[in-house]
Amino acid sequence: MSGPAWTVTPAERYELSAEHALAYVPPDGAFALYNDYAQRRSVLVPTPSPVRPEDVVATWRDQLVGPPPRRLAPQETVEGYGTFTFPYGPVSMGVPESGRFDVITYGERILELGPLGGYKSRHVLNALAGATIEDAALRIERLAGNVSASHVAAFLAAAESARGESVPRSELWVRALAQELQRVYNHVHVLARIAEAASQNVGSAQSHALAEEILRLQGRAFGHRWLFGALLPGGPARHLDPPDRKALDRELQRCAREFDALWELFLDSRTFIDRIQSTCPVDRASAVHWGGVGPTLRACGVRWDDRLRVPGPPYNDLFLALPEERDGDALARLLVRVQEVRASFLLIEQMLDRWPPGPGSPEPASSPVLPGRGLGRVEAPSGDLVYDVSVANGKLASVSARTPSQANWPLFALGMRNAVFTDFHFALESFGLLFAETDR
Amino acid sequence: MPSWIERSWTRGILTTRYPRTPASEAETPATARAPVPPQGAPIPPSAVASCPVEAISPRGVDQGRCIRCARCLTQGLRLDGAAESAVSARSELLLPAGGGTTRPTAPLASLGRSLHLFLVDVGSCNACNLEVVALANPFYDSQRLGLFFTNSPRHADVLLVVGVPTEPMVEPLRRAYEAMPGPKAVVAIGACPISGGAFRGNPGLRGSIDELLPVDVYVPGCPPTPIQILDAILRLRGAGRREG
Amino acid sequence: MDGWGVLLTLSVALFFGSAVVAAARPKLGYATSAVASALLLAASVEALVGGPIQGAAWSGPLGDPESLALNGLSAFFALAASLVWVATAVYSVTYDERRSPWLAVCFSLTLGAIALLVASSSLLLFLIGWETMTIASYGMILQATGRRGRVFSAAFVFLVFGEASTLFVILAVAGLRVGTGTFAEVPYVAAGGLSTLVFVAALLGFALKMGVAPFHMSEWLPIAHSSAPSNASAVLSSTLTLAGAYGLFRVLSLLGAPPLWWGAVTLGIGAVSVLLGALFAAVSEHTKGLPAYSTIENNGLILVALGIALLARAEGLETLYVFALFAAFFQALAHAVAKTALFLAAGWAEHATGTFDLTSIAGGVKDGDRGALLGTLSATLSLSAAPPLAGFVAEWMVLESLFQSYQFVPAWVQFLGLVAGAAVALGAGLIVIAMVKFLGFGLLWNPSAARPARRSRGLSVPIAAVGAVVLGLGVGAPWVLRFLAPAVSSFAGVPAIAPVGSLLSVPNGWSILSGSPFGILSPPMVPITIGIGACVAAGYYLLGRRPGPSVRRSPVWMAGSPPGRPGEVYTSFGYGTGLRLMMATILGTREIRSSAGAVSEAGLATPVPYSVDLEVLDVFKLFYDDLVRGGEAVAAALKGWVMTGHLGRYLAYILIVVLAVVIYVAAAT
Repeated sequence: MSGPAWTVTPAERYELSAEHALAYVPPDGAFALYNDYAQRRSVLVPTPSPVRPEDVVATWRDQLVGPPPRRLAPQETVEGYGTFTFPYGPVSMGVPESGRFDVITYGERILELGPLGGYKSRHVLNALAGATIEDAALRIERLAGNVSASHVAAFLAAAESARGESVPRSELWVRALAQELQRVYNHVHVLARIAEAASQNVGSAQSHALAEEILRLQGRAFGHRWLFGALLPGGPARHLDPPDRKALDRELQRCAREFDALWELFLDSRTFIDRIQSTCPVDRASAVHWGGVGPTLRACGVRWDDRLRVPGPPYNDLFLALPEERDGDALARLLVRVQEVRASFLLIEQMLDRWPPGPGSPEPASSPVLPGRGLGRVEAPSGDLVYDVSVANGKLASVSARTPSQANWPLFALGMRNAVFTDFHFALESFGLLFAETDR
Repeated sequence: MPSWIERSWTRGILTTRYPRTPASEAETPATARAPVPPQGAPIPPSAVASCPVEAISPRGVDQGRCIRCARCLTQGLRLDGAAESAVSARSELLLPAGGGTTRPTAPLASLGRSLHLFLVDVGSCNACNLEVVALANPFYDSQRLGLFFTNSPRHADVLLVVGVPTEPMVEPLRRAYEAMPGPKAVVAIGACPISGGAFRGNPGLRGSIDELLPVDVYVPGCPPTPIQILDAILRLRGAGRREG
Repeated sequence: MDGWGVLLTLSVALFFGSAVVAAARPKLGYATSAVASALLLAASVEALVGGPIQGAAWSGPLGDPESLALNGLSAFFALAASLVWVATAVYSVTYDERRSPWLAVCFSLTLGAIALLVASSSLLLFLIGWETMTIASYGMILQATGRRGRVFSAAFVFLVFGEASTLFVILAVAGLRVGTGTFAEVPYVAAGGLSTLVFVAALLGFALKMGVAPFHMSEWLPIAHSSAPSNASAVLSSTLTLAGAYGLFRVLSLLGAPPLWWGAVTLGIGAVSVLLGALFAAVSEHTKGLPAYSTIENNGLILVALGIALLARAEGLETLYVFALFAAFFQALAHAVAKTALFLAAGWAEHATGTFDLTSIAGGVKDGDRGALLGTLSATLSLSAAPPLAGFVAEWMVLESLFQSYQFVPAWVQFLGLVAGAAVALGAGLIVIAMVKFLGFGLLWNPSAARPARRSRGLSVPIAAVGAVVLGLGVGAPWVLRFLAPAVSSFAGVPAIAPVGSLLSVPNGWSILSGSPFGILSPPMVPITIGIGACVAAGYYLLGRRPGPSVRRSPVWMAGSPPGRPGEVYTSFGYGTGLRLMMATILGTREIRSSAGAVSEAGLATPVPYSVDLEVLDVFKLFYDDLVRGGEAVAAALKGWVMTGHLGRYLAYILIVVLAVVIYVAAAT
């Protein structure tokens, strides 16, 4: 096993997790400047303990550097007669991405599961130093294509904050619309993948078809099926005219009806529900401890969503019902996603209905944490996504990010303990984890 | 169970008639096409300067590098390239200045009718992966054309490569190619494997898939649409065998 | 005593002679044993083909005439045993590299004792052979390598079970002596209490030796726990248990018409053994423990067929009776041969890799001798009942007999046949897992390059030869059955005709018929059909002028990871774990974890290094362990007030016994 070992002691892990779950820690130790950090912390962790920034930062960085393959989650050595490591990946069709899973097992039962990343590190963020924001955004979109809107939105928010720029109000609405569309796509895609793993062939085909329809809508509305360039000034298609909005609204309402009908049928399939119920459970304490985010966290009964925690335009004007489940298993995560799809459809409907006429008044960006340095934070489909951008002389000085996949890998690995091989795909898909987000 | 049947019935047939009929408007968003140099005129220097990936030169537009950012649209180029843009030689990806097409007509008659596909991601952003996976969805239904995804390169005829080749993936990619039985073909999907795409020049990356494997078909785009990928795979079947 | 009689006498004598030779020159001793086995083989073939043969005769110590003879029944068992002894003895010449001659001596003695008991014409001689066999094989187990304490305890277990077996056998023989008034083989047809006593004692005594449930401890423990030498294990597992089967058949052939419950009990014991043996074989990790468990399964199959035969006889179903007997005999033959190959292969793998652990061998011999691998392949396929090998034909015949249990009149017997059939079928499925483990994960499969193995023709040729015999027995099953007819006739007491016939265009006598007819199978047609297909393919290839096959070797595909890194290979243990978890209630599976690192925080899943072991338990071992503990307690108690160690007390005991005898004799006369 190459790559750094997981060297944190339990107490330090606790701090690490608190940081991960509740706030982003800038890499140079300036975390205390994060404006409402303490407040956020108190939401989830009843008794805050002293934080040692060096440890937290050092450990956090350990995950992201080092030669590949490197561990994305803590994994222990196991001894015993007949135990062996079953290497799954880096090229496996069950997982459409390149990444490896070291399954320690004595056959059938998974004792430890260690996801290993680093196979597709493209060194995107490191290579951005010195680039213009516009050029950097093109790369950041292509960091993880299926969640491009969230990444670009977070990056632009951070860059604007660092430069103290204000943004036209309509621009924020476009970003939100793109993100919500992509959230619907990703959640439906997760549903399709889980159905595929459960051999629900009709359901899977119908879900894939719905996902394709969302992609086509994105392509028609923004000129690109994956929204590349859609949120940048001078993108391929400019923003939505009233007739376009009306057409989009009509199509989306049809998709929403399709989705509801589809989910009703899934609920009728007992075998499907049974298969994912109690698969890969994550309890609330572990989720908080290891810093889970997004649907993973909400499926454990923690109501945390950046769209409500960082209320800016347009979310502060819209109604958002935040779903919550308590069981923490694959079914709970899927239920959260399904409700979020509905919530997103509702959000989009509200947006298209109350679309701001013209560019609107410029919205000031959030204040920088340090001069020339800003944070951008959005709720990506899989959870809390944070960008930390430093700007010097109009060019980027450094960019780093904490992605939802990075936060959730340890929970996946923990949940898979004592599971059996066949649970693997249900579990993996239900977290919505991406190697592309951790290999950057 | 009856309800599923009823639902499938009411949904109707979604599947495209491609390749019997050309791709529809819904299947080809604006960025499915490459930017085309102006007819009968040199490429303006401002267009060359606007390109973030050096795809545009005075000689023409290199589709293999273009990531469809559309910045050159304001500089006199149009997103107007052919929807079916797969070629079998890297040099054919250049759209020369002054217009004209390089779309070759010679098919690659190397493989039979039914093909088994194996996907290797060597460092992609997932967009290309998901576009390839989308081939199996009801809209494209690759199985009607005899195209099947396999779980092992041992059963594969065609290696689909997506992503910019990273150093750690060089060996796994070679192993996958080595594990395939012959005759076999390699399809490079998207700007990343062809030229490095948006990440060309980053440390720890190989410049192009050409350095590693003999590529049979190049599919430009960022990402190419499922129809374009389908076109590329069907081209491996050779003349007269394109229809299912 | 004609020429064949001389040959028979000579071969038995030569076994004991080879024991003497072995004391001086072990390898020569093995060679002499091989010659003796060949002589016995020739004699037994003659006895089956040309009728019973009579060897040396003399007057016994108790006034009965004693002689060496082979009738149909004993000739069959002599044939099955001597067939595998030839291979085992030849194999031992290379295999046994010890300085001490004791293994060779005990080996020859065991063979001689079995030959003696099989060829004995009186039950007294049988008993002498029986006890010699037990003691000699105890001596073989003592030659095991490994921790002495473990070896001694395993050998002791073997001895205890062996002596318990002798005790019951003596009881059965005594019963017959009382009933018939002689040790000679006189049928005892009177029904009633004595007959039942003889049956129960014989069943217990011989079942103990056959190692069937619930006495299977006697089979796997000495072989697996003591890591007894492989040639010894082959003799113990293939022919010692065969001697048990022989004894049971012999005593039954002397008893009259069986009541229904004899068959039912035999069938029940057999079915349970099949299931347990297969299950434990599938989770065993020991190259010799696994075949030993498989022996339990196969002996169970013999008992199942015998049980059906006894039931059929009690019900007056003549056809089924004969067919089930043929099934039992063929099963005994098929098992003895295939199992020998397996043990020889285990010894060969140990010779090459130095271990008996399947997970450690992990393909370490796959580059070894091809002949040995093919022989092992044939034997494992036969034991997993793959057509057209001997084990397949035997298993088919046993299952066909079970299918016909619908003919029994009492509903409970029908039900028993149903349950036994289900158990046998399940066991047949489970044993496939065991054989895949043995051959696939143990000997053949490993994606990484095999370690360079020590090659030895002296080991691989016998294995290959036995493998070829397994194939021949299967393909030629209809003719083998005809050959076995005298044995069945001799046991049944009625002239038995081999259940062969014809159907469709298959030539007459090429097919096995069960019932009249119930099912039909033609083993020779399997290779013929495959051969025709191969010829068509070859012809197509040759005539079609296709380009020659281009062979390109590429490494194993392991999802893009480099293949064959140590510790990243699927193990034989892993292959069996599914069963360990599924059958946890029967296997008593439990996972033992011990944490090696810091204690985790309460309520939070925090990883710490740990070690894990998945254990399975033989519940019967627990029972016997309790029994031993109880026995020790009783002994300790007795020690206190009976065996005090005072000379005076012991003299007093002797005096009391003498007085008792005197009083008994006086009262009797």
